[in-house]
Amino acid sequence: MENDGKRSCLQPPHEVFWFLLQRLKAAVHYTVGCLCEEVASDKEVQLSRQTIAAISEVTFRQCESFAKDLEMFARHAKRSTINTEDVKLLARRSNSLLKYITEKSEEFNVERKTKKKKKLEDENKDSLEPAEAGGVGSEN
Amino acid sequence: MADGDISDNEPTTRTLLRRVLDTEAPRTPRRRQSTRAGVQRTPLGTPFSMRLRSQTKTTAGRQPHRARSIGRLAHIQTRGQLKEQTPRTLLENILLTAPESSMVMPESAVKPVPAPQVVQVVQFSRRESSPGSLELQLPELNAPTTLAPGRLTSGRRKKRLRLSEFQQGMDQELPLSQGPVTEPPGNTGASSLSSSLNLTFATPLLPQSVQRPGLARRPPTRRAVDVGIFLQDLQDTSVATAFPGDRTPVATLPTDTVLEDTQPFSQPLIGRSPSVHHSLPYPSLSAERTVSRRTRSSGPGLQNNSPGKPAQLLAGKAEEVDALAMRFPNTSSGTSGVDGLEPLLGGVGEEVEERMEESMSLSEVKEATGAQASARAEEPEAHTEVAEAEGSWGAIEEKELEGSSGDKDTEGRTARPELASSTPEFPRARQLEFLEPAPPTSTAVLSSEPLEPLSARLPTRLQTAGPRLRQDPYKMGLSHYAKLFSFYAKMPMEKKALEMVEKCLDKYFQRLCDDLDVFAAHAGRKTVRLEDLELLMRRQGLVTDRVSLHVLVEQHLPLEYRQLLIPCAFSGNTVFPAQ
Repeated sequence: MENDGKRSCLQPPHEVFWFLLQRLKAAVHYTVGCLCEEVASDKEVQLSRQTIAAISEVTFRQCESFAKDLEMFARHAKRSTINTEDVKLLARRSNSLLKYITEKSEEFNVERKTKKKKKLEDENKDSLEPAEAGGVGSEN
Repeated sequence: MADGDISDNEPTTRTLLRRVLDTEAPRTPRRRQSTRAGVQRTPLGTPFSMRLRSQTKTTAGRQPHRARSIGRLAHIQTRGQLKEQTPRTLLENILLTAPESSMVMPESAVKPVPAPQVVQVVQFSRRESSPGSLELQLPELNAPTTLAPGRLTSGRRKKRLRLSEFQQGMDQELPLSQGPVTEPPGNTGASSLSSSLNLTFATPLLPQSVQRPGLARRPPTRRAVDVGIFLQDLQDTSVATAFPGDRTPVATLPTDTVLEDTQPFSQPLIGRSPSVHHSLPYPSLSAERTVSRRTRSSGPGLQNNSPGKPAQLLAGKAEEVDALAMRFPNTSSGTSGVDGLEPLLGGVGEEVEERMEESMSLSEVKEATGAQASARAEEPEAHTEVAEAEGSWGAIEEKELEGSSGDKDTEGRTARPELASSTPEFPRARQLEFLEPAPPTSTAVLSSEPLEPLSARLPTRLQTAGPRLRQDPYKMGLSHYAKLFSFYAKMPMEKKALEMVEKCLDKYFQRLCDDLDVFAAHAGRKTVRLEDLELLMRRQGLVTDRVSLHVLVEQHLPLEYRQLLIPCAFSGNTVFPAQ
């Protein structure tokens, strides 16, 4: 493996982890590259490869920091699951981002509520039908 | 010990020697002397033994003259010379020859005052080369056959007389004054020797300064502030001589008041605590207040050679006004300033003197409370007087304000952001008016936000509460932080730059408190707590996986705060602060 030269002293689990990390980084880099191309075409500005690489690296590290902060926030609220509240807390610095996130979260809530209602209705119907069927069957 | 029946209060020579002999096996002189007198004897070992050897040889020739002593002395000498010339052998000789009863001098003469004994001891110490007074007694005890009494008179020619006299006294249980050959100096010397012998192992009492009993417990502060106060006092008082000695006690006090430009960074430790006097333990605050009063009053007091009562009332009061005003934050400076002003104007100096005297006496808390209460009670009167005083003390008041503002700011400067929350307001507002509303409002914030340790980063160091500043139209509170900034910049700064710094600080502190607020709300609470602050610091990067909050507390905070924050186990299986 090409990684042996770099991490020959590592234990196998570390190597695997590092390999996965690299894959993740590559995926992030690819996504960032696509986004940068879109922005470049919009603004009619060209972005060099180093720039895109730098942006992807920064994004990756920032995501790490975000993850740690989210975990801290969740723990601060004495929860074990990261919530939208934690995300909102994270994004409060930039107002536009905060707005966007709150809107999206509201949309999600609405969607969830409708889904739940549908589910409940379906379940009620489902539960009724078998009951009716059973009742009918029993009657018969 | 063999002489267990004899109490330690009356360590006679015999008992002491007996104890020495009993406890220590005959070994080298150095080892031998590590009993009752403790460690002090050990350094005495070698020089003592050497001295003994020289002495015994010289005394050997003198003894034959005395009939009574000859036999015993010969016995001693023979024994001594046959054996090694060691302290132990000499002690044994003494024990053989000396009477069983206590020392010859009656108790009344022996007991009287430790001071003369101290003096005697000191005299002995001067003559002898050994370090401590306790050790000195031993050689003179151990060498009765030698020139010990002779030493007292510091006259070589009187050695023989002293020796024989001493010997006879020891032998006959007679008071030394009744010896065959008595000379007043020798008598006094011998008596003092005996008296000192009796009190040999009692620790000479060091005269403690009664004026400031609480000084020993005060945390030491930087001496740099001394100069500021000193200069201030020089300016204000007409007293030409300023005793540097007076300042040293001030130095030891938690001086933090002076916030002139010369000393803008005095430690706010105690200065800040008065502002938090509601939240922090009250005695510390009042203690500091009284302590500072004490110093102020003692300053002029000492100058006038009258401890506790400044003879020059006016000068003293002027000092007090400035010093107290500079020293304390508004809460106390208001009162103290009032106190200072009142006597000057209303001639109620006696009251203040009494208060000062009180403060100089023992219980600090009582005086502080009493002083405070009396000060508070006199506030309304003082208010008018203050108004009157403004004209005459305009300059001083300005200094007060500046000083108190700086004072307040320095309070916030160190690790306590919550204290600083109150600082921006204090300097500006009328001290007396803000006394009541400011502390209660600030305490809520204060109690909820424990601390933030100092770090090398300037923004973190200069933390005050944002929301408080927003309400306050004036930004005087941040001016001091701007000054700090310019100090640490080590370069001259433009005014515009300082203004920008103030703006940034303002925004920073606002954000800080908003974050804390949000964090508290995030956890479903209304009160900001330590966890919120820790979260904030984690976000800031001060607290990491490697560096915990406790580590920062230990690094940057003084011990008093540390023991309030870090749970520590005490006796009785209690943990403070309780978790």
